[in-house]
Amino acid sequence: MGRKIMNNGDLLKNGNLGLSREQALALASQKGEKVIASICAMCGPTPRGCGIYAFVQEGRLTRVAGMRECPVNRGAICAKGQAAPQWVYSPDRLKYPLRRIGAKGEGKFKRISWEEAVHTIAETLRSQKEQYGPESLAILAPAMRTYNAYLKRFLTVHGSPNYGHSGICALQRAFSFMYTLGDKPEAQIDQSDLIIYWARQPVFSGPAMRAPKALLQAKSRGAKIIAIKPSVEPDVAKADIWVPIRPGTDAALALAMLYVVVTENLIDHEFVAKWCYGYEQLQEHIQKYSPQWAQEITGVPAELICQIARLYATTRRACIDLGNGVEHAPSANDAIRAIAILIAITGHLDRPGGNIFNVASPGQPQPKDITLRERLTPELGKKLLGPEFPLEFQPFIEGYNSAYYRVLESVLTESPYAPRTIIAPGTQPAVSTRGSSKVIEALKKLDFYVVIDVTRTADMNYADIVLPVTTPYESDHPFEAFGGLIRARHKVIEPLGDYKSIYEFFLELAVKMGYGADFWNGSIKQCLDDQLQPLNLTYEELKTYAFGLNYEKPLPRTYENYSQVFARKSPRLNQAPYLAHGKVEIYNTSFKEAGFTPLPEWREPPESLTGTPHLAKEYPLILSDYHTSKNFTASWQRNIPYLRELQPYPVIHIHPQTAASREIKDGDWVIVKSPHGYMKVKAELYPGIRPDTVMILHGWWQGCQELGLPDFPLLQGGANVNNMYSVDPQKAYDPLITAMSSQTLVEVKKL
Amino acid sequence: MAGLCILFKPEACIGCHGCEVACKSWRQVELGLKWRKVDTGWQGIYPDVKSIFSSTACKHCEEPECMLACPTEAITKEELTGAVVVNRDNCIGCRLCLQACPYGIPQFGSDQKMQKCDLCHNDLVGYQQEKDKYCYVPPCVATCPTHALRLIPVNMDHILPSGDD
Repeated sequence: MGRKIMNNGDLLKNGNLGLSREQALALASQKGEKVIASICAMCGPTPRGCGIYAFVQEGRLTRVAGMRECPVNRGAICAKGQAAPQWVYSPDRLKYPLRRIGAKGEGKFKRISWEEAVHTIAETLRSQKEQYGPESLAILAPAMRTYNAYLKRFLTVHGSPNYGHSGICALQRAFSFMYTLGDKPEAQIDQSDLIIYWARQPVFSGPAMRAPKALLQAKSRGAKIIAIKPSVEPDVAKADIWVPIRPGTDAALALAMLYVVVTENLIDHEFVAKWCYGYEQLQEHIQKYSPQWAQEITGVPAELICQIARLYATTRRACIDLGNGVEHAPSANDAIRAIAILIAITGHLDRPGGNIFNVASPGQPQPKDITLRERLTPELGKKLLGPEFPLEFQPFIEGYNSAYYRVLESVLTESPYAPRTIIAPGTQPAVSTRGSSKVIEALKKLDFYVVIDVTRTADMNYADIVLPVTTPYESDHPFEAFGGLIRARHKVIEPLGDYKSIYEFFLELAVKMGYGADFWNGSIKQCLDDQLQPLNLTYEELKTYAFGLNYEKPLPRTYENYSQVFARKSPRLNQAPYLAHGKVEIYNTSFKEAGFTPLPEWREPPESLTGTPHLAKEYPLILSDYHTSKNFTASWQRNIPYLRELQPYPVIHIHPQTAASREIKDGDWVIVKSPHGYMKVKAELYPGIRPDTVMILHGWWQGCQELGLPDFPLLQGGANVNNMYSVDPQKAYDPLITAMSSQTLVEVKKL
Repeated sequence: MAGLCILFKPEACIGCHGCEVACKSWRQVELGLKWRKVDTGWQGIYPDVKSIFSSTACKHCEEPECMLACPTEAITKEELTGAVVVNRDNCIGCRLCLQACPYGIPQFGSDQKMQKCDLCHNDLVGYQQEKDKYCYVPPCVATCPTHALRLIPVNMDHILPSGDD
């Protein structure tokens, strides 16, 4: 018997992660369980969720395994995914629809029926539409969720453009890249000899997905890895060169790298001559951004700036994987554009191992887009509360967008007008955007606030109506489509309470509002079948595919698709091309015409060591925050004990020297104070952080009942880093792409 | 000596803690206890500083000190898998095993009895007996996205080439 185990080839075969369908079924039958092939929902329901096998004992979800057949995760599952049952059965789950009966913020609610909830919301929206116009409704967008398309559709049918997108995630990069290169080109890591992870977190943003494997594979084949960020995260642990940059100064670094490649003539002359517009202006403009200049601002030694610029420019197969960290500074657009220009002029654009274009597969059917983009009008755009991008550049790829914080700010300023209802589906404004105290003020003043979520939220005590929705594990819809793979969602367990899915809610509300004709008369089945019609498929048919269906044939990769991509039309209503000259827009005439700088420039964060030296005496350290972590998704999941155990308390990373000079020891409670607020958190002595910088994970508020950990205050004295930053309209935003600042100056003192 | 062990390759670990939580979730490990634990260590000083990860569980030693130290013979080494397991009926909670273990592995929960990684011994054996063609890999190993954990025979003196996709 012993020999049998030893010789079992399968057991030792590496690369076989998770379970195969056969194994999952066998394991379930051995233990008297049911197993359901489904999609992990711990990053929220997203189109690219990891495939799982969910095990159910007597109707209860007990545990999950990664689905080996799923191309997204190939059997692996991260800590969050493994902890799913504790989320589903959390005592923090909302149980039934609620109506507020106490004062705002007091937390007194009364149970109501779904019918009453939907009726109340519909009546309120109807009367506000009559009195204030349909634009008085705003919906705050959560992170990338499968239901976002439904939110947009509802707004468009209602007549409001006020989809409140964060202003700090993904679209900021997309915008600056698209208007410079015509595309947001992907780093072709698997072909590259030099990979720069810039403000990127390739591990915690999907540990079971492709990025960490790509990083390790690149390393093992000998590619050079450079990581640019203020502190050591797992990617830095694997890197050859760490560039410890001050938070919010990526634009200065990128400009100095441009200086090096331009002044040392490390450019691809042929490409620049043929495909770039405005290189001469750049040559002149860049002279003021030397590495010595950038050293002062970024804290990165000038020699290191020169070294990485030269390495990048002279390595033929080199790519830059630019992450979300670059989207949180008033110079974000400048940083992203400067990096786009760097990629282009050094000859790394759409070439093997460089940053390659996403070229659509012509003629391949896609599920129907249900956002009703065809109904967008210029009149609708003019009603935007606080455009995320200037109106000249809207609609952008997700349609019309207001910036999330500006929607809330308009409640207070009533400029250009006051929104009357805000719906927060799967998003928590008090901890998810900057200026938390203003946000709370706005929620107090707002006429009608609706919260839709699975567990209790940071600001639900300000809501008029709270709606409890199913987790995706309790729902058999909708489908998830991404990268040519389409998967039905299979219900794992029956809903644990008086729940509807968020999709069912919006369809029902639409019907109540008289929008039934645009919402499949409230039928989820018709809604899904309609979307699948281009694929010649019904949802019932899709459900028979346990691993989903590949609806797109991958095309052979082609390179140097310049003429095609540089002529691409923008999603604006006049369909004007992204690039005015059909070339890389180094000197951006579209931006200039709209009153913005045509070339990338440097702009200081609202508070910084070099920008506001007068503050540095009282507040000598830079504060910024992390947006991903190994154990939590954004500001959720602090209530999940298996995840919370990994990090029970909010900790601020502080360099041991910085801590020692303040007599702070590891694990001490400290007060972190900025010109805008203060937090009480624990110190973690962290050797891998700039000594002039401290950093904390964002999104802390929620306690964990099972571990006896209480909630933290949302504002002063809590652990909500968003309360620490400036929201000064003149200083805290990138003027073109919103990108609210997450840098300030602080002092840290032992409590 | 026959048996299996879980090999950890630090260079492949990305510090995601998937193994740690998979273990807790699949084995219903009590809050506050860890049968497998991921830690971060530091090498060098700023700016030439690196973090290194470790994922630690019972090593199922060939000659377990904990077993020798146990006054009630509650700890045994299974012949088939090589797993060092605790018979909790016999454990008196004296913690001599913890004193003896060079790695500080034994954990004590609300019942005060010793618990730790058992290599998912019962599942490894059960599977082999009942479903010959389906082998079982402990969840910590099965969930590791980068194959930093591998189940291997103890007497294997080399690591198999990676079959990474």
